[in-house]
Amino acid sequence: MKRLVYFTADDHSVYASSRGRLVLEAKFSGDDLGVTAFREYLSGHRGALFYAVADLAGEDFHEELIPYLRGGDRELVVQRRLAQRYRDTRLATALSLGYVSGERRNERLLLTSFTNTQRLTPWLDALAESEAKLAGMYSVPLLAPALAARLGARGGRCFVVSVNGAGLRQCYVDQGRLRFARLERTVDMVPEALANFVRSETGRLAQYLSTLRVLPREGPPVQVIVVAPPGQRGAFERTLVSDTRLSFLTIDQGEAVRRAGVSSAPPGMGAEQLYLHLAVSRAPREQFARREDRRSYYLWQLQRGLVAAGTLGLVACSLYAGASWLNVVDMRGEVVSLQRETQTTQQEYQRITSAFPVTQTTTDNLRATVVEFTEIARHSGAPEHALVYLSKVLDDFPQIELDALQWRIERPGEGAARRAANAAAAPGAQESATAEVIEITGRVGAMRRSDYRAITAEVQRFADALRADPHYQVVRMQLPFDVTSEGTLSGDIGNAAETGESPRFTIALARNIP
Amino acid sequence: MTFTARELRQLALPLLACIAFLAAGAALIAWSESRRVAEARTLAEARVERAQAKDRLMRIAEEEKEVSEKLEVYKRLKALGILGEEQRLEWADAMARIRTERELPDLRYRVERQRMLKSVAGKPAKVDFYASTMRVELALLHEGDLLHFLSDLRNSGNAYYSVRNCSVSRTGAPASATGLAPRLRAECEIDLITILDRAAKA
Repeated sequence: MKRLVYFTADDHSVYASSRGRLVLEAKFSGDDLGVTAFREYLSGHRGALFYAVADLAGEDFHEELIPYLRGGDRELVVQRRLAQRYRDTRLATALSLGYVSGERRNERLLLTSFTNTQRLTPWLDALAESEAKLAGMYSVPLLAPALAARLGARGGRCFVVSVNGAGLRQCYVDQGRLRFARLERTVDMVPEALANFVRSETGRLAQYLSTLRVLPREGPPVQVIVVAPPGQRGAFERTLVSDTRLSFLTIDQGEAVRRAGVSSAPPGMGAEQLYLHLAVSRAPREQFARREDRRSYYLWQLQRGLVAAGTLGLVACSLYAGASWLNVVDMRGEVVSLQRETQTTQQEYQRITSAFPVTQTTTDNLRATVVEFTEIARHSGAPEHALVYLSKVLDDFPQIELDALQWRIERPGEGAARRAANAAAAPGAQESATAEVIEITGRVGAMRRSDYRAITAEVQRFADALRADPHYQVVRMQLPFDVTSEGTLSGDIGNAAETGESPRFTIALARNIP
Repeated sequence: MTFTARELRQLALPLLACIAFLAAGAALIAWSESRRVAEARTLAEARVERAQAKDRLMRIAEEEKEVSEKLEVYKRLKALGILGEEQRLEWADAMARIRTERELPDLRYRVERQRMLKSVAGKPAKVDFYASTMRVELALLHEGDLLHFLSDLRNSGNAYYSVRNCSVSRTGAPASATGLAPRLRAECEIDLITILDRAAKA
């Protein structure tokens, strides 16, 4: 709920405003008794939000040029100019009229204030003392550009003329900016007389502004938007005939109220309802109240700002979380779909595998058993193959007599003799296969023991025969006579008896098991 | 704008509300993010499972062929008594039978205690491979007896016989008039391997 204090020369009213509805809450006389009554009223509305709108005659408008400045420097210059212009700057403000480019860039200002601020200050003090939140102190002219826009001003220059409770209000708006305004007291008149009064006063204003060169003497006619009191539009239109200087557009107050967005107002209320509604709905940035007078309002705004920031943050986080959650929901849907698909695939797999040959175990165990057993069997050996091979070779060597055989399986990393043989055969090669090794110990019979050349040759021939199958490899050979430089060579020459046993040889044969 | 102590007190509640709202928002985001990350993990797992299931289904023809092939081996292992618990009495019977049938002059053996050879992971249960080493001493009339003995042993079943080593040596005994005195002696070490499939149906 917002409250409006409407100041006029005669009396001051308080209106409650909510969603375009204006309700008169209290009325006070403009004297000290009125101020006292206002204080009593405020005591029942502590901390309420107030907008003040003054509709008074004697408002001053003065144009100034200041250097182009920003921030604190501009504020300082503006305050200095206001102080130079007005004795009391409590209710003074400066409106920017734009920038002028020349040798130096300057800003045009419209300084404005009330000629008699003393009438208003007790009321503003009462508001401050009651801790009411004063959003701003506006004059009706400050709200005129907003009303002109609502009533369909085409831009450029226009007069906004309305019949308010305080009198006939005339505002001159140029390019959407206020340039001048005046209030002329009115008395009860018939519509035609009022219309004539409007025409004559508008003409006088145009003449005055032309004299001040605020309004150009030449150029297209200036649009005059006149808000006619209810039911008087016809009389106004008959009287307000456009000419080369002024182009009148008469709007019935009811239509203006609709365009401004006022949904209801106290009966008999003049056009001031338009300005009052715009003060709460389209408040301009410029207003008259000092920062100190609006301190409670700033504090309230800060409180609201903090809560709004927190709420906004929460909403933003909620939106983000919501988006994340939607993502989660999507993913869940996809997971369910994937799980269903997986289940279907598994069922299909089960259906097909159920037609497989009947096993006494699971497929995995079947595979594990057979694969591992095959691997064990692959690295297992049997001596039969080697013995048969040896037997066949021996068939061609009747002089060779075997004393002993030793067959064994050597796994990678075992068997130094085989390693040495592999290294000799292929240097750098890794020993990776399991091998069977057969070690043959025997003698060469039917030869004289002293015939070492023949015996050695026979053993060599036997070894060569064992190598005939490329799968077999002689990995170690110990000849009957050690003819290597590292060994010891001995003999017994001249002994006719030769009673000793034939010297033994040893051959180690290896075959990799594939 | 400088605030008085009273104004600061007036601002305290909205400030707390602002902080509470922002904290609630942050908590909401943290919670939703954790859910999103968890769900993303579940989704990734579901994708992998589906891919595996599809892959398995696509390879089913291969698997059917593999099962058929492996089943033959499995059945053979079962028929030979390699699959299952050790049958030590059967082994003893087999040794006695071979000695009698092959008229071996002397046959001594000793089977060591069973040891774990390997354990392979299966589904739903593992497959254990055991080995018991048997040391055999044989008196041979000729070399062929050893080959016959090994062949008979394999054919007797009840284990997979993996010969680790065998040595044959002459006894040094002279040939007798009847020619029946053993002239050779063989010593062998043979692993008797059995398989215990813990998922096998009885």
